[in-house]
Amino acid sequence: MRVVVAEDLFLLRNGLVRLLEAHGFEVAAAVEDAPGLLTALISERPDVAIVDVRLPPAFTDDGLRAAIEARRQLPGLPVLVLSQYVEQLYARELLADKAGGVGYLLKDRVFNDDQFVDAVRAVAAGGTVMDSEVVTKLLGRRSREEPLMRLSAREREVLELMAEGRSNSAIAQRLFVTEKAVSKHSTSIFAKLDLIPSDDDNRRVLAVLAYLNS
Amino acid sequence: MPQPSSSPGSAELEVVPVPHRLHGTPASYVSLKAGQPGMLVLALVLLLFALTAACLVIAWRRTGRGADAKGLRGRLREFGWCAALAALAAVMTANLYPSLDHGRYWWWLAVIPLVAAGVVLLRPRLAAVIVPASLIVLGLSGLGIARGYATGDGLYWLYGYGLARAGDPSMTGLILAQAWAAFLAGGWLAWRALAGRSAAARLVLGRAAAPDRSAHRYGLLLLPVCVAVAELVGSDAWLALMLVLLAGSMLVIRRWPALASRLAAAGLIFVGLLGLVRIKGWLAGGWFLTVGAQPSGTAQAYVLEGPRRFFGAVDVSSQPMAMLAAAEALAVIGLGCWLAPRAFPELRRALGLAPDAELTRRVERLTQSRAVAVDTAAADLRRLERDLHDGAQARLVALGMNLRAAERLIHTSPHAAAALVAEAREASAAALTELRELVRGVHPPVLADRGLTDAVCALALDSPLQVETEIDLPGRPPAPVETACYFALAEVLTNAAKHSGARQARIVMSHSGRMLRIEVTDFGTGGADPAAGSGLAGVERRLATFDGILAVSSPVGGPTIVVLEVPCALSSLKTSSC
Repeated sequence: MRVVVAEDLFLLRNGLVRLLEAHGFEVAAAVEDAPGLLTALISERPDVAIVDVRLPPAFTDDGLRAAIEARRQLPGLPVLVLSQYVEQLYARELLADKAGGVGYLLKDRVFNDDQFVDAVRAVAAGGTVMDSEVVTKLLGRRSREEPLMRLSAREREVLELMAEGRSNSAIAQRLFVTEKAVSKHSTSIFAKLDLIPSDDDNRRVLAVLAYLNS
Repeated sequence: MPQPSSSPGSAELEVVPVPHRLHGTPASYVSLKAGQPGMLVLALVLLLFALTAACLVIAWRRTGRGADAKGLRGRLREFGWCAALAALAAVMTANLYPSLDHGRYWWWLAVIPLVAAGVVLLRPRLAAVIVPASLIVLGLSGLGIARGYATGDGLYWLYGYGLARAGDPSMTGLILAQAWAAFLAGGWLAWRALAGRSAAARLVLGRAAAPDRSAHRYGLLLLPVCVAVAELVGSDAWLALMLVLLAGSMLVIRRWPALASRLAAAGLIFVGLLGLVRIKGWLAGGWFLTVGAQPSGTAQAYVLEGPRRFFGAVDVSSQPMAMLAAAEALAVIGLGCWLAPRAFPELRRALGLAPDAELTRRVERLTQSRAVAVDTAAADLRRLERDLHDGAQARLVALGMNLRAAERLIHTSPHAAAALVAEAREASAAALTELRELVRGVHPPVLADRGLTDAVCALALDSPLQVETEIDLPGRPPAPVETACYFALAEVLTNAAKHSGARQARIVMSHSGRMLRIEVTDFGTGGADPAAGSGLAGVERRLATFDGILAVSSPVGGPTIVVLEVPCALSSLKTSSC
């Protein structure tokens, strides 16, 4: 699987490249600024891009903008955005084109390399992965609302993991229940939130996020 | 009143004394006749204008230097008043020129450019007050002169007015037009000054400052002023007039002491000046002269009877007594001039004798808000240092120790080492979380990345309330204002979420007329009190650093509306994504 990495700090960039290569990815390009990222994405057309939000030249949200611009030119190009902090605003902008293949994670998540690599693969496969912090905020904001009040505690846990882009089997593993129980819970969640159930992980996540963001 | 136009055809200068109660010999007034002013007068007036011009040059050069040096426009604005004053002095002198004819009052004219020169040189700002006032007086006197021409009333025939010759009844229309022009121009300037709350407006209205209360006692001087006025008016009913004036002034002193002291100051100067004029007239034997200059070049003089010849209980019947009365009048003027700055604090400030009250208040506000700003900054730095010391720093130390222990154990007991390394990884994640929170508190990243508009959108998204935003900013405010507004808004939203019980809120942000305005409405239970120790007082103090204000309307039962206003300019246009 071919990856383009954009990160301005040398140590972090090297660390990421080493981590990805250790897990069998092929790093097509490792760039350090936003214009370089855009060029690399257009020319290399990688299977997935891993992008830091804050990049030169302006050191604001250049990385994010470059990623969105690249997805505008190459629709559906999978992009995993990393940041020192997460903003719902940025999550919204990434999800706006509803094409899937989007990830938005805190940089800390790199510490757990297995989980991180899973997330990269999920995004490359067209899935949607949101950091648990974004999901918690979304749920927190809407928690007083009528349909969410109807969910049981366990159903809320399942919903959170679902919005983080995890598959049913991953959720089952995490919650120490059977996969069957998870799919029962998710059917119940979709019914309570008036969402159309679907087998496709990505569509499922997008539906949940669309509901939370509405 | 005699009618000068009643004998237009007389060929000789004719003196017609008013027959009854005339003092002195009418023959002494015949000396006034049509003619050119002496070369000396002309030279003096020209000299004074040269002096005024020199003062203008000095004033122009002065506006361009010093600590408060202004740009060319500022210089022109300040200097413009000086130039206008000099021009006005020229017009007034030329205006009175025809009355030079009789050669007696020429020296009065010297006063006008002299005063103008003095003002331009010493108090250029005072010119802004004098110009509109002079224009109004000039206009009013022109209206009076025109009225005199129309009715043929005596005294005014002495005067020409601007382009109008003296003593020509066909000039009435021209005089009226010029008078109205001067009056309206003066009125317009005064109105502008009032609307702009300029120094001139404060001088006229006396609004800006609380008058010096110690000056109130001088209001008692109004009583002798009333007596003197009644005496000078000198009608047969002067006693009755005096009684009425005294009763009125008692009322004023009781009810409006500040006004009384002002009236007393103005009255003293007025009485003294009037007294001087009167005494001079009495010395000459009558106090008003009226000349009607006829087109044929002849003139007619009327001598009006002088009224009572007392000034300040001195019977002006001889030269020495007149000198005594004049000294008295000068003393009265002096007293008035001494009282004027005390009764009119605005005058003190205009003359540069006392600090401007508004400036004083502003300095107080700035001192206060600066102290708050410095305190806040220092407290923030201390908090930052403490948080770093207790949080991230301590965790990094623990991390280092763990890694060192793992390093030692890695060969002997790899499992224990692995556990330590895992612990170290968790510690580093926790340190990162703490640093992230810290950074958010110092300067929110989204504010740095995207500016206030998107930062407010992010705040709205993060709030547990359902927040609707309506933002219309064509550019970005200066960074410090953005930060202050962001934290103020965060505080207001947190308050609303914690205390109001609301589920929804609305943020409206706009910028117009150099004022950034943010309105936060929550549809909760209301009853918020900014004084009751909520974070709002802190918000208010922080905004004060930028001359910003915070207003809260929160009736019990809601809704609560918090308005923040900060004066600022916006920088270049920037589009927003929300």
